[in-house]
Amino acid sequence: MIASANSPGLSSAALIDPRALMSIRNLELRARVVVEGFWKGLHRSPYHGFSVEFTEYRQYTPGDDPRYLDWRVYARSDRYFIKKFEDETNLRCHLLVDQSRSMSYGSNGYTKAQYAATLAATLAYFLHLQGDAIGLLTFDEKVREYLPARHRSGHLRQLMFALEKPASGKATNLTTPVERITGLVRKRGLVAYVSDFLAPLERLEPSLLALTACGHEVTVFQVLDPAELTLNFEQAAVFEDIESEQTVYIDPAAARAEYLPRIEAHCAAVRATCQKLGIGYHRLSTEQPLELALFEFVQGRMRRGRLSRPSAPSRS
Amino acid sequence: MLGALAVAGPLIFHLIRRTTRERTVFSSLMFLRPTPPRLTHRSRLEHILLLLLRCLALALLALGFARPFLRKTAPTDAVSGEARRIVVLVDVSASMRRAGLWAEARNRVEAVLRKATPGDQVAVFTYGRQVSPLVSFEEWKAALAGERTGLVLSRLAATTPGWTGTHLGNALISAAEALADADGEKKGITGPRQIVLVSDLQAGSALDSLQAYDWPKGIELEVQALPARNTTNAGLQLVAESPDADRQATPAVRVRVSNAGDSTREQFRVGWARPDGTDFAGAVIDVYVPPGQGRVVAVPVPAGIPGLQKIMLRGDDEDFDNSVYVMPPEKQKLSVLYLGADAADDIHQPLYFLQRALPDNPHLTVRVVPHSPAAELSPAEVQDPKLFFVTEALPPATAALLREQMLAGKTVVFAPKTAEAATALGQLLGISGLGLENVQPSNYAMLAEIDFQHPLFAPFADPRFSDFTKIHVWKYRRVSAAAIPGARVLSKFDSGDPALLEIPAGKGRLLALMTGWNPDDSQLAVSSKFVPLLYSMLELGGGLIEQGTQIMVGDPVPLSATGPTTEPTVVRPPGGAAVTLPAGTASFTQTLQPGIYEFTTGQRTTRLAVNLDPAESRTAPLPEDQLERYGAPGPQAVPEPVQAARREALLQGAEAESRQKLWRWFLGATLAVLLIESALAGWTARRQARTVNTGGLTS
Repeated sequence: MIASANSPGLSSAALIDPRALMSIRNLELRARVVVEGFWKGLHRSPYHGFSVEFTEYRQYTPGDDPRYLDWRVYARSDRYFIKKFEDETNLRCHLLVDQSRSMSYGSNGYTKAQYAATLAATLAYFLHLQGDAIGLLTFDEKVREYLPARHRSGHLRQLMFALEKPASGKATNLTTPVERITGLVRKRGLVAYVSDFLAPLERLEPSLLALTACGHEVTVFQVLDPAELTLNFEQAAVFEDIESEQTVYIDPAAARAEYLPRIEAHCAAVRATCQKLGIGYHRLSTEQPLELALFEFVQGRMRRGRLSRPSAPSRS
Repeated sequence: MLGALAVAGPLIFHLIRRTTRERTVFSSLMFLRPTPPRLTHRSRLEHILLLLLRCLALALLALGFARPFLRKTAPTDAVSGEARRIVVLVDVSASMRRAGLWAEARNRVEAVLRKATPGDQVAVFTYGRQVSPLVSFEEWKAALAGERTGLVLSRLAATTPGWTGTHLGNALISAAEALADADGEKKGITGPRQIVLVSDLQAGSALDSLQAYDWPKGIELEVQALPARNTTNAGLQLVAESPDADRQATPAVRVRVSNAGDSTREQFRVGWARPDGTDFAGAVIDVYVPPGQGRVVAVPVPAGIPGLQKIMLRGDDEDFDNSVYVMPPEKQKLSVLYLGADAADDIHQPLYFLQRALPDNPHLTVRVVPHSPAAELSPAEVQDPKLFFVTEALPPATAALLREQMLAGKTVVFAPKTAEAATALGQLLGISGLGLENVQPSNYAMLAEIDFQHPLFAPFADPRFSDFTKIHVWKYRRVSAAAIPGARVLSKFDSGDPALLEIPAGKGRLLALMTGWNPDDSQLAVSSKFVPLLYSMLELGGGLIEQGTQIMVGDPVPLSATGPTTEPTVVRPPGGAAVTLPAGTASFTQTLQPGIYEFTTGQRTTRLAVNLDPAESRTAPLPEDQLERYGAPGPQAVPEPVQAARREALLQGAEAESRQKLWRWFLGATLAVLLIESALAGWTARRQARTVNTGGLTS
C-alpha cells in the first residue's frame, strides 16, 4: 500500500497484500493472481493499450521496407500501412534469479527468495500470456540452472518448477550469471535481473556493460527485506551471516547509525551503475505489492522504449 | 554426589550471561560492525549474592539426593531360619581342563558351602556327559555340621575334570529331579530350592534335552560362570573321507580345525605327531581360521614313519583338545561261497548279478567264490566264507558240511532256482519231506508285509526307502512256513505266500528267499534294494564289521565290531591296565579318555581311536539368555566376591539411610534458600526498575 502514491495507474484497492499472496503455495497460481489483478488495474488506468508486444500501424512512406506492409489492411482500406515492431511479439526474455542463501532471509513471514520467485513467475506469466519466449537462469555463487527462452506448452511449468527450488548457495556472485547470459544469448532480448545485490559490486558494471552492449534490454530488480533497510531489531544479539555463518555481536541501537548510510550507499551504487548503463533499476521491498513491480517494469520499458527505440520500422 | 557438580551451573551462567544472547540470523553482515557489549559493575555485585544463594540451593539439593546417612552399626536381624536345599552342579567336562578353571570352580563351590547354614541341605553333583553325585543329600545329612564342607572339598580335591562332552541339559534336569525327589521325602523344609551351577558355560554344552523338560516351579538357578583365563582355543575333529579319497595320489586324513568364537588368534599349525607325541612328523600345515569358524584340511600321511596315530594342532592357548587320534581302518576281506552250476557270464543266472553287486571299496573286498554242487566241497573251502548262497540241490556231503558251518554261526542264503532244490532245504534244516512248488502268477507278484523291524530290512525302514512295489516277481517257489519249525516270515508275496524266511539254526541261521534275483525270476537284481540287502545279509552273517563311525569319549564301543562276542575280550585303554570283559558282553563303556584302545578277542586284535567330543572345543561362553531360552529359570548371575562385599555394604547403607531419612532436612533447607533467593531477586529487580523509571543510568 505504500506504493500507491507513486503509481498513477493503480489504486491501492486493486493491489494485493504480498503477505496474503505469499500464502498461496502454488507459484503459478500466485503469478496468475498478480497478472490478472494487474490487467484489471490496467482497465481502470489511463494507459490503455500498451504492452510489451505493442504493435502499431504507421502509414507507409517511401523508403520503408515493403516486407512490413500489412496487406490485409491495404485490402480493406486501400492504404499502405506498415506493421511496426512485429518482431517484438517474438520477444525473448531471460530472467536472472538469485538463489543464494542470503535470499532466504525474510522478516515478515516469507523470504526474499519467495518474493523474487513470485516476481519472476509473475513476469514470466505476463510475458507468456503475450506469447513471448521466456528463459530462466538461477544462480548463487555459480549458475545453478539454465532454461533457454522458449514459448511452448509446458515450458512455463518447467520454469516455475526451477523457480521453486530452495535458495541454497553459500555466496552470491553477481557477475557470473550476467557473463553467462551474455555468452549464451546471441539474439537481442529482454533480461530481468532479480537479486538482493548484497555482494561486492566491483565487477558488476563491466559485466552489465557487456550485456547491454550486446543489445539486450536489461531491467534490475533489487529485492530487499524491510529489516535490511531499517535494521529494526530491538534486542542486542549475536548476528549470524546466513551465507558465511560468521557471527558478530551487534547492538542494533548502536549499529543502526552506521548501518543505514552504508546500505543506502550500496543501493545507490547499484542504482548509479544501472543509470550509467541505461538499465532500468527497481528497488523492491518485500512488503511492496508485486503489481507495482510489474507496473514499474512495463512503464519503465515503455519510457525507455520511447527514449531509446530507433525510429526505423524494422528492428531485426 | 555428582549432582553437586550442578553447582557449577549457576556459576557458568553468571559468567556467560553477558556473552551469550539469542542468535539472530541476518542476510548479510557486510554493512555491520561488531558492537562491544556493555557491562554494569553494580549489577555484578548484586548478582554475586544471588549466585551464592543459587549455588547453595543446588548444593543442598545434591546433598539431599545423595541420600546421606550416619554410619552406625544397626542391629542386624538374625538370619532367617528358613533352610534351603541346594544342588551344586560342578562341570567336569573336558573344557574345564583349561588353565585355572578347575581351581576357580573349587573356590566357588567352597564359597557356596561356606554360606550354607547348618539347616541347609546340600548335594554336590559333577557332570560331564553323565551326572554323578559327589556328595548326596543323605551323605550331607549324615555328616556332622562342621565336617560337611570338608567332606565335599576332600572329594572335590580327588576329582579332576574328565575328557567327556558337556550335557548341561541332562545335568540340570537331574539336579531339578533330585530336588523334586528330596521334596517328596521331606516336607518339613520350606526354604527355597536352588541349583548352583559352577561351570565355564561353554558354547558346546548340549542343552537340547531341556527343551522337552517342564522346569518344576520354585527351583531357582544360580549360575556361577567361570571366566576363562585365555580365550583362544582351537580344536580338531576327524572328518569323513572325501568320496574321491581312493583316487588321491597320497593318502591323507581330513580334519576340521574349528576356532572358538572368542579367540584372539587365527593362525594355527596342524600336522601328524611323532609316535612319541613330542613334535610334528612330516609336513606341517598352516591353517587360518577366523574366530567362530572351521576349516577342513587334508593332512597327508607322511611316508616311511610307522606308528602314526595322532594329528595335533599348535598355536592356541589350551591344549586339551589339540589332538585327534586316527586309526586307519583295516581293509576287510570277505569271501562268499556260491553253490550253483552257473556260468559266470550268463546274464540269466543269479551268479552274474551276485558277482557284480559286491564291488571293491577302500574298506572292503568281497570275493564271490562259485562252486558247482556237483564238485566235492572240501572243509577248507568252507572255513573262510561267512555267507553261503545255495541255489540248487546239493549232494548230501556238501549239505552236511554247510549245516555244520551254519550251526557254528554262519549264515546260509537259500534261493532255489527251481522247486527241485527243495531237498537241499530239507538237508540244511534237517527236516525231511519238505516240498517246494513252482508258482507263476498270472501277471506278477510283489513283495508285501515286510518286517522292517528285522535287521535285514531295518535299513529300508525309512518311508523314503520302504517302497518295494517296484520289484515285480515273475515266478517264485511256494513253501509252507508252518512246515518249518521256528521259521520267521520276514516278507510275503502279495499272494500271501512267504517270500523271505529266517530260520535260526544253532548259532547261525538260514535265510530262504523264495525267488531268484535274476531277471528270469524277478526284478530284484536290477532294483535299488538289491545291493543294500546283500550288505545287510553280510552284516547279519557277522562277516561285515561296521566301520567309519567315530567314537567319542564316553561312547560305548559295541564289541560286535571288534570280533565275536562269544569269547572274552581284553581291552587295553591308552596308558591303562588291561580290562577283561567276559564273553557275551555287549559293549565296552569305559572310554574315559581319548586315545587308541586295543580290543583283543581270541586271535584277533582291533585298535579303535576314541576322541574328544568336538563340541568341547567350542569354548566361547554361552549367550547369557541361552538357558532361559531353553526353559530354565533366568540365571541369577552371581557377582564376584569383592562386588558382593561392596553390594552388602551398599545394602546396609541403604537401610541406614532409609531409617535416618536425612534427605528431608536437606530438601527443607533447599526450599528455604530458594525462598530467600526469590525474595532477593524480586527485590533487586524492583530496585532496578525504579532506577530506570527515575531515569537513572546504571552504567
